[in-house]
Amino acid sequence: MRKGAQIILDCLRAEGVDLAFGYPGGAIMPLYDALEGSGIRHVLTRHEQGAVFAAEGYARATGKVGVAIATSGPGATNLVTGIADAKMDSVPLVCITGQVRSSLIGTDAFQETDVFGMTLSLTKWNRLVRATEEIPRVIAEAFHWARSGRPGPVIIDIPVDMMKASVEFMGPVRFTPRVPEGGPGRAGPESTFVTMLIALLQQAKKPVALVGAGAKLSGAVEDLRQTLDLLSIPAFATVHGLGAVRGDSPYYLGMVGMHGTRAANMALDETDLLLVFGARLDDRVTGEPSRFAPHAKIVHFEIDPMQLDRVRACELPVIGNLADTIPAFFQEARRVHLPDFSAWRAAAGGAERAEPRKAGLAHPTKSFLEQLFVRMPENGTVLADVGQHQMWAAQCFSASSPRGFITSGGLGAMGFALPAAIGVQLAKPDTTVLCVSGDGGFQMNIQELATVHRLGLPVKMVIIDNKFLGMVRQWQELFFARNYAETDLSDNPDFVEIAKAYKISASILREEEFLDPAASAYVSRRLDRFLRSTQPELLVFECHPEANVYPMVPSGASLSEMVFEE
Amino acid sequence: MHIFHIRYRNTQGTLMRILGAVSRRGIDLPYVQAEPVEHTHKVTLLMDANAKQVGQLCREWRGVVDVVDVRPGAPIQELWDHAHFGLPHPADSVGAAENARTATA
Repeated sequence: MRKGAQIILDCLRAEGVDLAFGYPGGAIMPLYDALEGSGIRHVLTRHEQGAVFAAEGYARATGKVGVAIATSGPGATNLVTGIADAKMDSVPLVCITGQVRSSLIGTDAFQETDVFGMTLSLTKWNRLVRATEEIPRVIAEAFHWARSGRPGPVIIDIPVDMMKASVEFMGPVRFTPRVPEGGPGRAGPESTFVTMLIALLQQAKKPVALVGAGAKLSGAVEDLRQTLDLLSIPAFATVHGLGAVRGDSPYYLGMVGMHGTRAANMALDETDLLLVFGARLDDRVTGEPSRFAPHAKIVHFEIDPMQLDRVRACELPVIGNLADTIPAFFQEARRVHLPDFSAWRAAAGGAERAEPRKAGLAHPTKSFLEQLFVRMPENGTVLADVGQHQMWAAQCFSASSPRGFITSGGLGAMGFALPAAIGVQLAKPDTTVLCVSGDGGFQMNIQELATVHRLGLPVKMVIIDNKFLGMVRQWQELFFARNYAETDLSDNPDFVEIAKAYKISASILREEEFLDPAASAYVSRRLDRFLRSTQPELLVFECHPEANVYPMVPSGASLSEMVFEE
Repeated sequence: MHIFHIRYRNTQGTLMRILGAVSRRGIDLPYVQAEPVEHTHKVTLLMDANAKQVGQLCREWRGVVDVVDVRPGAPIQELWDHAHFGLPHPADSVGAAENARTATA
């Protein structure tokens, strides 16, 4: 006989889990009681949202399933933002929540919420456990769906009495879906697409490649790079695709979309054949959907059929795992004669499409980020929170590390970066993890400084402090007649003192000091020391409050209607 | 009006996910009927959706774990009448004909 709580942990171990993030509470206490000796390391965050973001960070850095644990009621509701984030960004995540005892379910008992109901639309799959005997199968199925096809979050809600009850336990089980065809991400590559795609390429004059997260998630980065080298057509990446294409490739034009490069957005506007590799084509990438790639036929490599035709119909959907479909295409493409696209490539990446000269109010901040990034080791990871600093960081990121840039791209959840950095640092203890936040977002999960301190994680934290909710302020400036309604954070706390209260070393670097030529050697040494430290460190970079992110495609405009700083 | 017949295994939440795909798009469902069919279940939905929404819905339904099959169907007069005159939804998974008798009693 074995208790339900022990069975849960046995099954987690069988799924390869050795690390979980969570926060205890009444309805999950039996699980915590059984933790010791289970072989699973538990990391106590200081808020359930911190736990789920940390689990996401771990999953994003490793490709493994992240695990977050919380109690019923508020514990579960605090997970919801992270679950939604994982759904948007295809992060494999298993969340386990305690629930009030089964006899109380539906009575509005203390700390009861309908976790199953409220997470239906945010998860790939979810279950309310109704008997302790179900636990092995439910956990096996949960991990299957979290990992399979387009990865995503699942949640298992377990009444506290099911965890306490003892039942016969024959060991963890394996889950095999009953119907292999259909369903999420279970489609295979179509046999005819290669011929059709080559025909399209042979007719094309201005083909381009748009690379998203799918290339990384499927483990197809090397296949993709090989294919792009062969095609040698202009290529660009979404924010989640950054690092998939080698930054020094002669055909790489940088990031595309609302704050993408001029070259990438112009090429996308002019192309007659758009090859999409694992990208959802969300509105931050497309601009006004009706004017997206107006001259192009679209070939969409995608594992999730749901993502097809969201913007407009694609001429050739290639449904399947990119690790299968890209090599299938490459093998044939190398055998046939393809047109020489060098003239188009030269035009798309030509000097007249280069970024405007480095100037403007944001220049010092971008220069600061660049100086940090060039000091990062090849296997380092940059995390960006959400806001202006996120886009500046994305614009400055040029490394060729597929999992080297992590951010909350789809949901855009402020407060993501610090707890996610904890997860990344635990997953990659021997590398540099640089967490870039804004002053607004940092305060959304600032309590996780305690987790950083307790674990002694050498996370390098940077706050880009403009004393505003900068991205909202930018939109207020540009589209709401400078009515800075409720975006002023000029009464921010002293971040250095706060960090010190958590026993974390912290300092400030002001923009004027950074720009002072007389201080450049000193600043350089400071940045070196900051990144090389074996301890957690916080560096607050005070920047101009009215610096904006440019280029910018205004909402409702096409990608060719970028706005640049005057 | 479009009609869809969706076969699914009646596991926890599958029907709710099917319906949620509709409600999240703000589409009214004037007629819903769920019933056991052979070894699975079938839900019949009647709705007014544009072509783009229909494509999105079909893909989203097919992506739901435990959805077995999605088929569009021609609206049948009986269902259309139910929708058109704003009759109440069936209280449970009763047949359309039975519900019609109840509603007009």
